[in-house]
Parts: sequence; C-alpha cells; structure tokens
Amino acid sequence: MLVQGITGREGSFHTKQMLDYGTRIVAGVTPGKGGTEVYGIPVYDTVAEALKEHDVDASIIFVPAKFATDAMFEAIDNGISLVVTITEHIPVMDMLRVKRYAKLKGSRIIGPNCPGIIVPEEVNLGIFPPRAFRKGKVGIVSRSGTLTYEIAEIIKRDFGQSTVIGIGGDPIVGTTLDEVVEMFDKDPETEEIVIVGEIGGTMEEKVAKMKKEGKISKKIVAYIAGMTAPKEKRMGHAGAVVYMGMGTFESKIRAFKEAGIPVATTPYDILKLL
Amino acid sequence: MKLYEYEGKEIFKLVGIPVPRGVVTDKPIKWDGKAVVKSQLLEGGRGKKGLVRVTQDVYNTVLELQKLGVSKFLVEEYIPHDREIYLSCLIDREAVEPIIVASPEGGVDVERAKNIRIFHIPIERGVRDFDVLEIEKYLDVKGLKPIIQGLYRIVTEFEAELAEINPLAVTESGLVALDSKVILEDNALFRHQDLLEKLGRSYEKSDSYVELDGDIGIIGNGAGLTMATMDMVKLMGGNPADFLDIGGGAGSDKVEESIIRLAKNPKVKKIVMNVYCGITRCDEVAQGIIKALEKVKIPIYVRIVGTNEEEGRKLLSQRGISVYEDPITCIGDAVRS
Repeated sequence: MLVQGITGREGSFHTKQMLDYGTRIVAGVTPGKGGTEVYGIPVYDTVAEALKEHDVDASIIFVPAKFATDAMFEAIDNGISLVVTITEHIPVMDMLRVKRYAKLKGSRIIGPNCPGIIVPEEVNLGIFPPRAFRKGKVGIVSRSGTLTYEIAEIIKRDFGQSTVIGIGGDPIVGTTLDEVVEMFDKDPETEEIVIVGEIGGTMEEKVAKMKKEGKISKKIVAYIAGMTAPKEKRMGHAGAVVYMGMGTFESKIRAFKEAGIPVATTPYDILKLL
Repeated sequence: MKLYEYEGKEIFKLVGIPVPRGVVTDKPIKWDGKAVVKSQLLEGGRGKKGLVRVTQDVYNTVLELQKLGVSKFLVEEYIPHDREIYLSCLIDREAVEPIIVASPEGGVDVERAKNIRIFHIPIERGVRDFDVLEIEKYLDVKGLKPIIQGLYRIVTEFEAELAEINPLAVTESGLVALDSKVILEDNALFRHQDLLEKLGRSYEKSDSYVELDGDIGIIGNGAGLTMATMDMVKLMGGNPADFLDIGGGAGSDKVEESIIRLAKNPKVKKIVMNVYCGITRCDEVAQGIIKALEKVKIPIYVRIVGTNEEEGRKLLSQRGISVYEDPITCIGDAVRS
C-alpha cells in the first residue's frame, strides 16, 4: 500500500494505526517531503517516484481537500487500481471529473469522505477503530462512518465481519452501494450482507431493484438513517439531502420491502434480522 | 450556501438569464404602478404564507410585511404572462452528469408535478443546440438557449448544487425568470471569492446544524449516527428540536461550542448526545460537555463509547452527568424525563 499525504496529522497518525493492524504499507508521498521517513516508511515527492522503488496495489489518500483531487488524478495516472480517499469536503464537480476519469483509466476509487475498507484481523485500509471488528461472515457496506462502527460492534460477537466498506457520504462516490453488494454476492467469505444507507440519492433503490430481479442471491438486511429528516435539509453529509423528491426515506423503505429485504427500524435491530 | 432570491437573480443576470426589473430594500419605498413585493427569506413556501404580494401600493405593503417580521424585500415590476414553466439544473449522482429538469407545469411543487422530464448534458460536451431544441419541443416554447446555458454554467462553473427557475414566465416579449433558487456548494466556495464579493457575502464556515420542531436537542458524531439518534428519539415518542453532527475528531472546544449552539434554541428543553469515538476521544468530549454545562443549564443525556471511554465516563460521572453505554436506555430516559 501507498499512503498519499503520509506526513500530515491524519496521514501519519493513521499510518501508525494501519501498520499496527498488520497492513503492509511500503511507501508514502508528500510533495516537498521526499527523502524523509514516517514510522520507517520512505516518503517520496511524487507517486511516480514511489512506484520506481516499490510495488503498490492500492493507495490511501489523507491529502487536504484542496489538493486531494490532484492526489486522486496522480494515483489514477500512475495506474494504481484501488484508490481509497478518506478526505472530506472535496467539491462535487471535482469528484465528477475524477470519477469519469477513473472509469476511463480503469482505477477504482472508494470514497471520498469515507472510513475506507477493513478486512478484520487482516488489513485495515482506512481509519476504522479496531475494537468494533472481528473476523466473520457478514459483509457491511455503509454510507456513514460512525454508524458503520456502531453496526459492526452490534454484530461483532454473534457474527463478525468478512469485509467492511464505507463508501462515503458525498453526493458522488467512487464506488456505489450496488457495486459493493455485487462484489459481496460473489465473495466466498461473505454469507450475508448488511447495507447501511441514508436519505438522498437512489443507490439503495438500485440495490433493491437488483435483489428483486434475482441478480443478488445472498441475504441482505438494511438500515436507513434519516427517517425523520426534513426534506431539502442537508443532514450532516453533503449526500444526505433530498432534492425534488429523489431518494426519500419512504422511497428507499418501499423499494427494500418490495424486494423482500428486511429493514431494521434502528441500527440496534440489525442483529435480530441477520 | 443557500442564496436569497435576489442574490440568485444577480447570478442569473451575470449568465444572461432575463429577470424582472427590481430593487432590494429594507424599508418602504415609493414605486409607480403595479409591483410584486417579495419577502427575502431562505425558506420556501413564501407564497403560501402570504409573504409575496402583488400590489399597487408598495410603500404600505412593505410596512405590513415588516410587521410580520420580514426585514428584506425584493420589489419587482409586475410581469403579465400567459404560461409558467419549471426549469432547473443539478448533478445526477447516478449518471455522474449534469441534468436539466424541465416541466411545462411551472409554479407548482415540482415533486408533485406529473409532467416532468430529465435531459442529460455530459460535462465533456456542454449544452448543444440539439439539447435546446429537444427541451423547447417538450416545453412547447422558444428562446430557451440562453436560459439553459445560463443554468448549466451556474452548476458547472459557479459550482451550484442546484440552480432552479420556478416559475419561468412566457410573455409576449420573451422568457423571464420570476423566481430563483440557487444553492452554491460550500466545499467549492474557496474557488469563487469573486462571486461572493459581488454578492456581498463572506465565506462562512458551515456546520451541520438543522432546526426541527420538537423540544429535544440531538447531537452526535458522524452524520449517520446523529440521524439514527434523531430517528430513535422520534420512534420512542420524543420530538427532536434540532440536529447537530460535531464531525470527526472534534476536540473539547468544538464539543462545548456545539452544545451551546443547541442550547441557544429556546425550544430545547433537554439534550441527547450519542457519540461513538474513533478518531474523536471520549475524554475530550467529556471535557467539552463539562465546560458547556457551566454556561447552559439544560439536562443532558450522554451515551459515549469508544476511544478513551473509561476516562470520559469517569469525568462525567464525577460531575453528576448521566452517562450510558446503551443508546436505547439513554434515549428512553431522556424522552421520559
């Protein structure tokens, strides 16, 4: 793994956390800090320079919002196939261009504004607090960071998790709910899937449609945050806002019910539905 | 950043969308002939609340509206028209593309409009004549080109989340935007200092505060968890008064500030706080709560787990503040109190 923005406050702190979890980080990048080290990891000025010395499968970005777009373009241009962007507050028009460019070049982006990916007891490519996770058979995909930790913790004792992916709370995300659900459906380590959705957008409705059409065979259970949110108000996440009636709580619940996906009334009811 | 109607219309003028002749005022003014006096508020539904008035007597209409608590007005010439249309531009999240939303039924609540169509206009090519022609045919109107191009520029160049005209009036002499709704994207404002200056606005650091109708203040860390907390309060028979996500990695100052912010709302009689610490630390949160409670005297029910949990709990218990590990009990106690 490569860490972009490794010398920053968040970058260096989470590099340590990820290393402690067993994640294999081989290099870091911070323009102007090439030649230094962070927890023994060599730092380079550019991604291209880091790749001359190391084999890298994935990059994680902790670069501040103003420069994070450049960091994503740089990773994509250097052929890194998986790019996890933790940074929040990236402008939507930037993300629109990044996502279209990543598709063109064959890179996968997770995030932005997300906690990353964790495979419990193996690899933490993100900012997950380890205490909530235990190796198991449930795949969790979530639009919300803290709610992911909460739900992981709730199912930790009885089920554990295969892989947990936080896709982020922004209007445009590199990887969508339905894409992750499809991957979980094919993943032999995953037996059941938990979706943590929220108001805004229509990603949840898309998953429901796939399930209804028989394209997903594994059991899915869901929770949707924002039942009581007033419309056209942004509820914390930039993506959690309902414009023109698209992506209301009701439309998501209706879609899940029609697809036979049980929906938990509170996050704490997820356990009963699995 | 939500813009006032008159600010949205300033941007309309900038991109070539025709608007009525008008003036912004905070006091009664003299005006010859028929006019529309429009209260400048950021909430919708002004018409239904009687805050938009067609009048021959602008001076006294402003006086009357001032008595209702309105402080800023847009006074515009009255535009006689035959038809009203709806048009807006925003980004389609699924397609990752700007879209134009059009309806021949203007002036109504677009969510209830039966006749509505979406036109995708990819960023790589921008608005083309064939797009305009298609939309014109659907709406049965001519002369849309500057308007479509203008809305598209507001979204793609000024980075608005939403640029909406509802209604767009069809008059004998052409099309006129009678209203404007423009929401600029907070994350992109740093690139649009010129525009902010032109509008006389400064860049405000946005927070996630949302006002609701009930009496319980809701605070949490992370948008999802805070929303879930709000929903649970409602499910358990309580009524949220407001919503605030302190965000990730908040220190004690941020926590203190956030609680004081909630408590400023006179409707808030008690506060439910639900925190799962990851980057954020429980002891920092506890210190913030303790500092806030020196200034505000409102009961607070805290559920706190995660990083430095024991230190945080201890600090709070020593001050006699209710601390919970289980959110359901915490919310239940708050609702029943």
